[in-house]
Order: sequence, then structure tokens, then C-alpha cells
Amino acid sequence: MPYLNYGDRELNFKIVYFGPGMSGKTTNLIHVHRNLQENIRGKMITLDTAEERTLFFDFLPLDLGRVSGFFLRFNLYTVPGQIQYEASRQLILDGADGVVFVADSQPQMLERNLASFEGMVLNLESYGKDIAKYPLVLQYNKRDCENPISVGTIERELNIPSHIPVFESVASEGVGVMDTIHRICTNVVRDFRL
Amino acid sequence: MQLTTNNSRPILDELLEKSGAMTALLISKEGYNISEAGDTGYLNTTALAALVAGMFSATREVATLVGEKQFSILLQQGENRHIHIGLIKDSVMMVLIFQDQQRIGKVRHEAQKAGERLVDLMNRGESPQTQQQAVQTPEFKEYALHLIDMIFNKNG
Repeated sequence: MPYLNYGDRELNFKIVYFGPGMSGKTTNLIHVHRNLQENIRGKMITLDTAEERTLFFDFLPLDLGRVSGFFLRFNLYTVPGQIQYEASRQLILDGADGVVFVADSQPQMLERNLASFEGMVLNLESYGKDIAKYPLVLQYNKRDCENPISVGTIERELNIPSHIPVFESVASEGVGVMDTIHRICTNVVRDFRL
Repeated sequence: MQLTTNNSRPILDELLEKSGAMTALLISKEGYNISEAGDTGYLNTTALAALVAGMFSATREVATLVGEKQFSILLQQGENRHIHIGLIKDSVMMVLIFQDQQRIGKVRHEAQKAGERLVDLMNRGESPQTQQQAVQTPEFKEYALHLIDMIFNKNG
């Protein structure tokens, strides 16, 4: 549920980028940050380790502007993808209004994609969310790798509802990144109720 | 009742005056900034809200690991500035930034009293319905979607 600040007339949404380690979640946020005007993007915060892997989360606030007298804000978070940070992932998903699952298209990463997606579904269920009715976008990243898995593989393997939007991306070059965020923001606004 | 800038600001102002702290903020557990008072010019309050909420969530898990439900107060001690964070009704964090370390007792005491007043406020009545209804109309959603299309198509 978005947070409506009555005093300041702000409507705040939380979007989380989820996925296995090194799949490109932070790279998505960096590209979004680079491509938006300064009056829209806030300061990006990254909590990473010496190896530049996300330790707790990345955070990027976006101020889209005013709608009927209300400020429309989206706060983007990433989760740490590595297996050992399960507790952090669950905490960051709390209160999320929508999720982008960033999958790694390299064939050797399929198993980790599947495990991460299943983990996300369990975490969302623990907050009472049903992915069949929840704003979720699936992004197949690293499409420029050798022998990328075919689009549709993850959905087939896990029986994911077919209405979930799917995008192909090369986040390191910005391909597909803005289409992905455009769609998740759209679906979050379409679906929200207070 | 939901805490807002309007209804909580007098309590925060009084808290700053009595405790001698320089900045007070109320932050929701989802990481949103509810209200602020005092000097905030030196602070990125949006980033602070997200980080404090994350820190408090992590601390709750640490508490569970040692057999506690929650640590209700966090104190961060720096060289010149210190942060006192108190949890209010399991959903809001009150952050106080102060400079004089000798005042920690006073800060803690005044924070406790202000926290009780904020709980009273939260327990009183219902949240205003008018604004909730205003953002849930088809027109509001249509305008919001149009804005999203404009921003992301232009920058896509």
C-alpha cells in the first residue's frame, strides 16, 4: 500500500528490484539515475562491499511531479542478491508496492534465477501478496551474453502467470531499462488502493 | 490518526526546545519522511529516512536473534553529532540529532515524553478520508499515468 502523507500531500510508492546476485539490479538503478533530469532524480545511495556487491540495499528516490495537488514519488530499492542475505531481502520487500525481477540470461545462472524467484514469491506471500494479482515485471537482463536462455524459460519452469510483463535488457548499455521502470510504475499506479 | 507535519510539528518543536537537540524527524517504518523540525539544511532527509528505516528493520532481526522482540531505542555516537532513535507504536521512528553529548540524559527523557504524546495523537480518531478519496479517483490515476508516460517516454 502506498504511503499518503496527508500534511504534505505526498503519495509515495515503493518499488523493489529483486533477483540473484550480479544479475544487474544496481546497474538498472544507475541507468535510471543517469537518464532522468536532475529535478526528478534524488541522490542515489549505495551500500556495497569492497567487491562492489550490494550489501544491504541501493536506494533511489524519484519525484515525478504534482498530480491534482499531490506530489507523486517513487522510491526505488534493490536487494542484495547473494544467498546469505535472505533476511535483508525479506526486510526490504516489506511495504513494496511493486517488484521488478531482474533475471540473469546466462545459461549457467538459470538455477539461481529460479531459486531467487521462488524466494521472492515466498517473501511476498509472507506479506499477504499473491503474485497473480501483484504488480510484477520480469526483466531478462544480459541479453548480449553467449547463448542466453530463451525468454519464457523462467515462466515455464515456475508456472508463472502469463499476464506478467516481460522485458529483454542489456542494463550495462541501458537497453530495456527505461521500458521496465515505465511499465512497473504504470502497473503500480493502476493497481493501488489505500 | 496518521501523524502528519501539521499535527506532529508542535510536539517536535517543543521537544527540540526542551532537549537542546538540533534536528528532529519522524520516519515511517517503510522509510518515508513524515515530519521534520529544527535545522535540516545540512541533511538529505529522504536518504536518511530510507537508511534509518533499514537500520531499524535490521536491528529488529538482531533483537529476535538474542531473544528480544525489539530494541526500542538506538543511539549512534559520533565525534561531534549523535543520533537518538526511538520507536513509536512499532511503526514510526523518532530521530533526534544532537551535538552536546552531556545532554544524552535530557534528550532521552524528553524523547520519551514526546513519544507518549505522539502515541496519544495516533490513538485519537480516524485519518482524514478526503485525501484518500481524492487520489483514488479514475481522474487522478489517469493524470498520474499521463505524467509517468511523459517522463519515461522522453527519457527512454
